[in-house]
Amino acid sequence: MQKVYRALGITFLFLLAVCGTALAQGTQVSGTVSSATTGEKLWGVTVRVKGTQTQTVTDQQGRYALVAPADAVLTFAQIGYRGKEQPIGGQSTIDMALEQAPTMLQEVVVTGYTSQRRADITGAVTSVNLDPVERQTSASVLQRLDGRVPGVTVQSSGSPGSRSTVRIRGITSFHDNDPLYIIDGTPVQGDSYLNFLNPNDIGEIQVLKDASAASIYGSRAGNGVIIIETKKGRPGGRQARLDVRTGVASPVHGLDDILMQSSLDYFEVIKRSYMNANQGRVDSLGNPIPYTLDSLPPTVLRIYGDPRNPTVPAYTYVDPGAVTARDSFGRPTVNRLAYNYPNLLIMPGSAGTNWWKAVFSPAQFSDANLSVSGGGVDNSYNVSFSYLKQDGTGAFSQFQRGSLRINTAFNVGRLQIGENLTIARQQNYGGIDDGNLGEDNIVGKNILMQPVVPIYDIGGHFASGKFSGGGNNTNPLKFAWARRFDRNTWDKVLGSAFAGTEIVRNLAFKSRFSFNLDQGSFKGFTPTTWENSEPVKVTSLNQNEQRGTEWTLANTFNYTWVTPQHNLSVLVGHEASQKTYRRIDGSIAALVNEDPASRYIDDALGSATTKNVTSAGALDRLLSFFGKADYNYQQRFYVSGTIRRDGSSKFGPGHRWGTFPGFNVGWRLSRESFFPQDGFLSNVMLRFGWGMTGSQLIPGGRIRAKFGGGRNDTFYDIGATGNSIQPGYRQIALGNASLGWETDKSTNVGADLEFAQGRGNLTIDVYNRIAGATKGHGILFDPRLPATAGFADPSVQNVAKMQNKGFDFALAYSGTIGAGKVWSVSVNAGHYKNKILEIAENLTQFFGPTGTRIGTAVINQIGQPIGAFYGLQANGYFPDSADAASHDDALGPCAVPPCQTNAKVGRIRFVDQITVDTNGDGRPDIRDGLITSADRTIIGSPHPDLTAGLDLGFRTGSWDFSATVFGSFGGQIFDAQKDFYVFRDFSTNVVKDRLTNSFCLPADDGCTNPYNQNAKYPRLDQFDASSPVISSYYVESGTYVRLRTVQVGWQVPASLLRWIPSARIYLQAENLFTITGYEGLDPALANQAPTAASGDVRDQAMGIDVGMYPSNRTITIGISTTF
Amino acid sequence: MKTLLRSRLVLGTAFVALLGGITYACSNFLDTPAQGTLDESALQTKTGVEGSLIAAYRMLDCNAFVGAWGCAASNWVFGDITSDDSYKGSEATDQPGATQVELYTWNTGQAGDYFDQKWATSYEGVVRANATLRLLRGVMASKPGEISPVDSAGIEGEALFLRAHYHFEAWRMWGKIPYYYEGDTDYKKENNMSPDSVAKLIIADLDRAIAALPLIPRNGEVGRVTQWTAKAYKGRVLVYTGQYAAALVVLNDVITNGPYGLETSFDHVWTGFQALKNGPETIFAYEASANDGEPSGWNANWGETLNFPHSGSPFGCCGFHQPSQNLVNAYAVDGATGLPKVFTDPPGWNARDSTWVASVSDTVDPRLDWTVGRDFVPYKDWGLHQSDWIRTPAYGGRYSPKKNAQENASGSQSQVGWNKAQLNSVHIHLFRYADLLLLKAEAEVEVGSIPIAQGIVNQIRARAGVTAQGCGGAYNATTQAALEAAYPGCVGDARLAVPINDASIQWATYKVSAYTTAWPDQATARLAVRTERRLELGMEGQRFFDLRRWGEAYATTDINNYLTREKTRRGYKVAQLPFASKNMFYPIPPTEIDLSKVGGQDRLHQNPGW
Repeated sequence: MQKVYRALGITFLFLLAVCGTALAQGTQVSGTVSSATTGEKLWGVTVRVKGTQTQTVTDQQGRYALVAPADAVLTFAQIGYRGKEQPIGGQSTIDMALEQAPTMLQEVVVTGYTSQRRADITGAVTSVNLDPVERQTSASVLQRLDGRVPGVTVQSSGSPGSRSTVRIRGITSFHDNDPLYIIDGTPVQGDSYLNFLNPNDIGEIQVLKDASAASIYGSRAGNGVIIIETKKGRPGGRQARLDVRTGVASPVHGLDDILMQSSLDYFEVIKRSYMNANQGRVDSLGNPIPYTLDSLPPTVLRIYGDPRNPTVPAYTYVDPGAVTARDSFGRPTVNRLAYNYPNLLIMPGSAGTNWWKAVFSPAQFSDANLSVSGGGVDNSYNVSFSYLKQDGTGAFSQFQRGSLRINTAFNVGRLQIGENLTIARQQNYGGIDDGNLGEDNIVGKNILMQPVVPIYDIGGHFASGKFSGGGNNTNPLKFAWARRFDRNTWDKVLGSAFAGTEIVRNLAFKSRFSFNLDQGSFKGFTPTTWENSEPVKVTSLNQNEQRGTEWTLANTFNYTWVTPQHNLSVLVGHEASQKTYRRIDGSIAALVNEDPASRYIDDALGSATTKNVTSAGALDRLLSFFGKADYNYQQRFYVSGTIRRDGSSKFGPGHRWGTFPGFNVGWRLSRESFFPQDGFLSNVMLRFGWGMTGSQLIPGGRIRAKFGGGRNDTFYDIGATGNSIQPGYRQIALGNASLGWETDKSTNVGADLEFAQGRGNLTIDVYNRIAGATKGHGILFDPRLPATAGFADPSVQNVAKMQNKGFDFALAYSGTIGAGKVWSVSVNAGHYKNKILEIAENLTQFFGPTGTRIGTAVINQIGQPIGAFYGLQANGYFPDSADAASHDDALGPCAVPPCQTNAKVGRIRFVDQITVDTNGDGRPDIRDGLITSADRTIIGSPHPDLTAGLDLGFRTGSWDFSATVFGSFGGQIFDAQKDFYVFRDFSTNVVKDRLTNSFCLPADDGCTNPYNQNAKYPRLDQFDASSPVISSYYVESGTYVRLRTVQVGWQVPASLLRWIPSARIYLQAENLFTITGYEGLDPALANQAPTAASGDVRDQAMGIDVGMYPSNRTITIGISTTF
Repeated sequence: MKTLLRSRLVLGTAFVALLGGITYACSNFLDTPAQGTLDESALQTKTGVEGSLIAAYRMLDCNAFVGAWGCAASNWVFGDITSDDSYKGSEATDQPGATQVELYTWNTGQAGDYFDQKWATSYEGVVRANATLRLLRGVMASKPGEISPVDSAGIEGEALFLRAHYHFEAWRMWGKIPYYYEGDTDYKKENNMSPDSVAKLIIADLDRAIAALPLIPRNGEVGRVTQWTAKAYKGRVLVYTGQYAAALVVLNDVITNGPYGLETSFDHVWTGFQALKNGPETIFAYEASANDGEPSGWNANWGETLNFPHSGSPFGCCGFHQPSQNLVNAYAVDGATGLPKVFTDPPGWNARDSTWVASVSDTVDPRLDWTVGRDFVPYKDWGLHQSDWIRTPAYGGRYSPKKNAQENASGSQSQVGWNKAQLNSVHIHLFRYADLLLLKAEAEVEVGSIPIAQGIVNQIRARAGVTAQGCGGAYNATTQAALEAAYPGCVGDARLAVPINDASIQWATYKVSAYTTAWPDQATARLAVRTERRLELGMEGQRFFDLRRWGEAYATTDINNYLTREKTRRGYKVAQLPFASKNMFYPIPPTEIDLSKVGGQDRLHQNPGW
């Protein structure tokens, strides 16, 4: 079927390609276009034969070439410059100098309310190379940034339309670390998806990494700023572009590579677990009772039959009402006619269900973009349409997006007006709720179903592990199937209208009104699960509708003064914004009819008494004044200063206003007379920047105490009626009237080098950022209070302090091999070291959110990075019972040696840390001889030491080849899935080498390598409750290197495509291979996204593998045409 | 031209200045009220004060903020599974925190989470009671006349009582606890008082409550505590602290002058029938409500949700809180005397390892089948308890809890919730009259009035001998057929409770007789009273606290004898640590110790041994 789609897609492309226009005939004209002011060669100027459709665009060296009648007139146009006309007059070379349009700055690099020449930037700003970004296929532009920008990390899962966790230069807060996005001047914060934005619309991306660059965005720039400008039209002829691609995604790695697939192997695991668990089982006289084949629990024999000759069972679960007899092992003879869903269920046995394959399969995606752009001397436009559909590799899941973008600009007299607008709808269902990774989804524990459990019961309904010992999971296919009509829909209208004029010469005024309208809805269905060990017996439906409205009004004056010696630009401005949000949630249970058409919240359609409605909302305002001055002398010395003053409604009177200054200086060494002009280095710029930014990323309304209540919390049946409650109230949140700005400081030292005649360049930056740097302006954080303070949410305070130090660099080189063969290589890499400096008064540590079955594996401790792993230190396996006994206080008191509760041979041995201070110097000096929670220590960190991307490119003739490699080094993963697939918690499936690679004793069944301390797993032991505790045993290296993309493209020769100017066909593979030592599903791990009262705390759940939707390996074919 | 330029400049600047000025000068642009919440002034009314008091009552059981399961009103985790009454049940790895509590590995983080739930639940109760007292004081001062003097006294008395109760809950868990008053602003108070000193504060609050409370429930709302509740509770605390003479004074007052009495039939004590709830035996209960408009059943005994028979049963889940073999053995009755074998055969009563399933040849106390679900015995009015009702027999044995289960016919089952059949409005007894009588019996034994104690025990046994589990009927045709097939006498007989020698009873021989021979000494009296207490209050979350009350030596012997034998019955019990001195109190949750530090110094001092 997918092949058919692909074939259709390509046919469609070629049909469209026919619609191009024919090339004109005439003489060849070429030349160079430059700036009349600076002499700089201008790229992207539209050169057009007047009165025709013939046109071209200058390249990066300002060069153009076209064929035109000798008597024709050429027009040269580019936004920001005054258009010019020039008759050809028989010349073959026409060079042109364009004057800068007075009120438009050089639209080179937009860096916040204004733009700058790339070469003049002295802050830490990375301009993203968009070519490889365009090549990738993920729905969100954010995911395509992964590995592209030094100092920026992106985490996401393979779920269609999934969330991205973008972090710029580490992490600065315990909650809400998403950067601020500025999309065509419109601020967007608190969106980790950016899925409404069509990646093909993007014209440029700047990442403002340090405070000296970002402080112009003051209060919201603490997490860094990413400025996204969409493609704008250029004066010149209409240019249309069509990009179509389609492909197939499949999981990079499947759990069927990891888990046991045979029911009888699984029986062997159960059997050995019991047989090995004989120590300690004692009779009434205290004598050990070993398990024997005959004393295996009847629940096991009932499934697998004769333990000496186990066989795949005919049935796993049979309702007692259908059992007519049982054999000596308890296996039933079944009256199949008694089957009656859901009251009397009969489930067959399976020789080995491949649960992974049942749920995951290759999935198709397709993406089509059509854009039309152009403009006249006094206008420009760019309109684009796109549609993207991505099926999930998991069953019954999909993401789709349709978007329309309109960017226009007009000169009306001396006034420039225009607008940027995106209208988008996204819809998805299935996959994984990004906030809810873990066992409650199709990947998590659910995929850890036992191989003996069948997918369907004998009546064709979904089956599950209802039998005793079958685990209490839900059939993952059922889980997805039952939710196939769930829909999550987001509508977005985002954009701005702007107007600007030149008031006097060199002084421009610009006003922009931005709006960001959101509307979201979700409906979700929860099915009954009669087939489960813990059945859910009522269906339920929940639905929510939400609406967000944000507007921002910004007014700026911009003064520029340019002489051959001096270059000054001054910006002052003012901004006001308001954000409102409201949502309503409803639910009803026990639906009378499960048909999607009846899934509404209505008294008649469900149990009216279960109907529930709640609503919530927010209202926040921000008011700002700012100024910026950039000056350079002869493009040798640069100095730039910024100041912003922000007032936020989230803070109390007297604490609302904050001031955020920043400055940077630069010295272009290469312009000095002493600098060798013909040396290896052609451009050297040294930069230093310092600045302050802020954060107000907390919910509003936290300056005062809040009161409330709920029927599930404070209401009570004081009249003892049995069926009614009276209202009750309590304090639900503590307020803090002196809540104020979080202030972050950062220092950046950098250098830009260009070498080998400009063929290579290197940018390197070293930084030190301190969040919560000044007293009274600490990181906004709500330290937990002792329970004696009650349930009320603790107040938010300015208390914590965190540091990120690091460096990032980008190195690029391109060269040629003979004529027409161009190669390029670029490397970018970033390192940061995150360290918590302060948490709160008297608080040296606090635990992260509980994200695993076995508790919280995360601690935030002063001196350590955020989200460090914390637990016992594992130290091999107890080699013999003597060693185990000395660690054991289970059967008798253990006096001196480290006494580990439940120590047994073959179980994990933990280290007794030095925890007792005997000489009173405040530092522990001896061990206490007991393994307790006091022996927990830092056992790992999820933060990589280095992340790096490598881009390779090669072009010869009409062929081009490119590849991207990404690597993450030195981070660690806490594989919480081991609790299931090693320790068989909740009777789940286990790793496939559990039988062959476990510690064992010579007498154990199947033991070939006794006493092996290098075995991957502890001894199979049914009653081993001590090994699974949180320890370094769960921690693995998360280092990996991945071939992110490989692409081969072919420029279709004009001889084959006579009607369109250009077409390129390409074939691309993503995630072809990964080199890693990580044994879980995927080392490129997305965080869970737990939420606390203070907001999103996902940075405290980094690197914890609780069952992630795996990355995809995607093969794409596409065609890109312009006409 | 110049003028034109200048005027434009002026105009543009003025425009921007205006915009900026408007937003900045309007200082209230940045004043945005918190959304979707009440502020404090909204509660400075009678409604607010009464609502705060209601919220204080609500902490008697779990709620949406402490969902699992250390918050349960019944104390099943801390009062039962750590004693010889029951196992955690279910599966080995389900609710590992409760498993760690059962196995006495109380210093694991998972057990710590359970202790923290109890700590948080208790202190939130204190916080709400204190908030009520503060609000009351504020309204009385600022709006005289808003609350009548009678209501004011009543509210104060109820809040003081609840404060005492929540502190008592924490006190019997941890002993030395910080005590919080309505004026306290420091929530990191040091726990520098001995357990006895804390008990004095509890009693002081109860005395103030007694002085303020009315004799009958305010507004006729029977969930409210009265002067009699507070007096009874004071008696309880006095017995807990060994002040027997003082206890007897107040207990005698309650017995002689108070409104309480024993139910006639044991099945009326734990019941979902609205007409039977809050009968004379109820002193203080968590008033659960089902189908009260709350859409998830949070008020319907959420704390007991797990404590029902598992998947083959009409309830469906989850097989927790399974009675121990030891407890069931304790219900064995000496056929000749009709007295507990625990009393008549101290060395031999616990010998039986085989599961007690229905059998007329077993002579048992009728309370067994009101307390424990066992195979082929009618389970209230749901039909026969079946072997497939048990989740993992190899792990938790083959018995189910029963007292907290609703009767099918009572209609008290929730129609909403995660697993609605496991949510009901059976009121959970926090203190009932039989408990009070047995406390008095204990006190009488300790002060030497053995015949009085014997009289009380016989009174309890007389009531226990009135009725036993009847055929009950079943919940559908299939189970009714199974019931009738097993017991033909049950055809047409759906009586829930029948006389203990009723002909329809074919699953046991019930017998419970009075102690006719005078107890010769204190030791005998103690054995009889303590045994009676266990039989009467089995599975009600009292046993562990009782064992501890009876002294470290007693608790050590009892638990360790229990374990020696139970380890042979339940494999996983091998991992259970023996009862030691430190087990006299639970460890204060380490999280709370950490959170209460001031200047790096502990304000909460851990109990000995932890």
